[in-house]
Amino acid sequence: MKIEIKNKGLLSLVVDGGRQGRQREGFCQSGPMDTEAYSWANFLAFNLDNTPCIEAIGEVTLDVDSPCVIAVTGRNVTLTVNGIEQPTYASVRVNACDEIKFGSQTLGSKSYLAIGGGWNVPLVAGSACTVMREKLGGLTNDGRPLTFGDHIEISANNVVNVKGVTRERVLPKAFQPDYQRDKPISVIPGYQFEAFSRAAQQLFVSSRYTVSSSIDRMGYRLEGPGVSSTITAMRSEAIHTGAIQIPPDGQPIVMMRDRQTLGGYPKLGCVSPVDLNRLAQAVPGEHIHFTFQDHEAARADMLLSINRLRTLQGNLL
Amino acid sequence: MQPFGSIRELVNVGADAIMLYFKGESLDEANDACQTWLKAIDAKRAVTCPISSEAATASVINSHSGTNALAIKSTDNWSWLVECVVSYDSMLLVFNVEAIDSHGVYLALSQLANDIHYEQVDSDGGKNKSALELGSPSEHSSKCKVIPVWYGAPNANDLREVSEKTSLSVDDIIALHTSVEYKVYAVGFAPGFAYMGDVPEALQCARLSTPRKRVPKGAVALADRQTAVYPSESPGGWNLLGLTPLEMVLHGSDAGSSLLKAGDRVKFKAISEEEFKRFHEN
Repeated sequence: MKIEIKNKGLLSLVVDGGRQGRQREGFCQSGPMDTEAYSWANFLAFNLDNTPCIEAIGEVTLDVDSPCVIAVTGRNVTLTVNGIEQPTYASVRVNACDEIKFGSQTLGSKSYLAIGGGWNVPLVAGSACTVMREKLGGLTNDGRPLTFGDHIEISANNVVNVKGVTRERVLPKAFQPDYQRDKPISVIPGYQFEAFSRAAQQLFVSSRYTVSSSIDRMGYRLEGPGVSSTITAMRSEAIHTGAIQIPPDGQPIVMMRDRQTLGGYPKLGCVSPVDLNRLAQAVPGEHIHFTFQDHEAARADMLLSINRLRTLQGNLL
Repeated sequence: MQPFGSIRELVNVGADAIMLYFKGESLDEANDACQTWLKAIDAKRAVTCPISSEAATASVINSHSGTNALAIKSTDNWSWLVECVVSYDSMLLVFNVEAIDSHGVYLALSQLANDIHYEQVDSDGGKNKSALELGSPSEHSSKCKVIPVWYGAPNANDLREVSEKTSLSVDDIIALHTSVEYKVYAVGFAPGFAYMGDVPEALQCARLSTPRKRVPKGAVALADRQTAVYPSESPGGWNLLGLTPLEMVLHGSDAGSSLLKAGDRVKFKAISEEEFKRFHEN
């Protein structure tokens, strides 16, 4: 089967789980900005984890030429098929020639569309992820985002064929990802944390930061009270997911999926992986605040969230 | 976490990673220690080259079986290692939180330190020195890669500016740049971008005051004591010496990998415009 992009929205990219183990060669991690929503989209569309999805900002329209199962997830997302509203966070059956329209109602947030089946897209360094800066990945393997008229070939999904999908999967609202921002975002102190004064560390967790308009898949620049370290120059080193870089102006930058692999700015620590999706879905002008968390507690949170996802998915199988 | 051997410092980074910093009298020495560890870690892993999707596959299988089989046999072959990113004197180790915790990683590292130590004692015929302290792994283990360069290629030619900055003639610049064997300290910034050093002191020259918006693919460049090749067209503030016809990122099947790897030895060789063009025809 084939899908055709009718309206690309503001920015639509082919993403999958990302390039693992390749940062040492300079390939950025890539992968979905909101891993939880991405993972649910694939599960609800009867796909294995790591199957490509469309990550979209704005409202996207596309056509399918054969019957298939789709799922839309993300923050404040909507889905219509031929103009009729359909549930999100649920398996939705569509027919040949149906027009699918999906997106997030929060301008700037990401929505994910999964389509049941194997995506026939090129892989580079083990992933189909589109990285615009690196000019690789995506449909034509040159980092180009999706555009009007693009076709994506999708082969039949074995799961759907074999089982006939008698039971659609629905994730009840109560279990959908939580995107509220009044809950603080946990930061694990690390890297050059000790080079920041006690006052700077306290200022960082007691202040409110605003998500600036300089946010992209590389990093989220925040605005608020400046924090600075005693470091003036350091050697470039590996930047982990969610690392908080403090450039000379003191305004934090949280490093996201398409960050460069090495960088030379001092770092306060890293955003906890379980809170990074929430930050990734925040949009310019929204406020956030931080709290410090021990790395062992953060690991426990990760394990709990993995376990929670598996239990929920197990119950829906 | 107490440091040991050539490790100067261990720092927890986030929920699932540890950063190692290496010591050395010079940057070169610290980088050697870093490379020694990287080689030892690669040797530990079942698959030597890129960690690939192996770990991802394992975690998918694991998630379906619902057991933690991965954890039981994971510590020995380092299959818990998700990502290992080296730079000049540091190494980031990202681990699978379901398979191990930072204490386990610390134990695996200290065990590996012993392995490296004994191996070195054996191969030295009893000389009682640790590889971690000595480490020059690259010198005897990797061949020198040669990068042909068309110096002064029209769209990558800052030779005149470099000449002004260094007070060297263009011929001397080329002679100096091709005279030494460089070491790849780190690969990063962009796929296949290798930071190589050290450039002869006389050739040392500051970055451009205003970075260029477009540096062509294959541009051979110079900044401070470092040299590099731009693997693809990108912005950049380094001084350009010429072009190489070589592909710095190899696109084989779905692989895609960097021509140069951390620890490689590299030499540049001057070629003519004709040779450059012929290279492309082949």
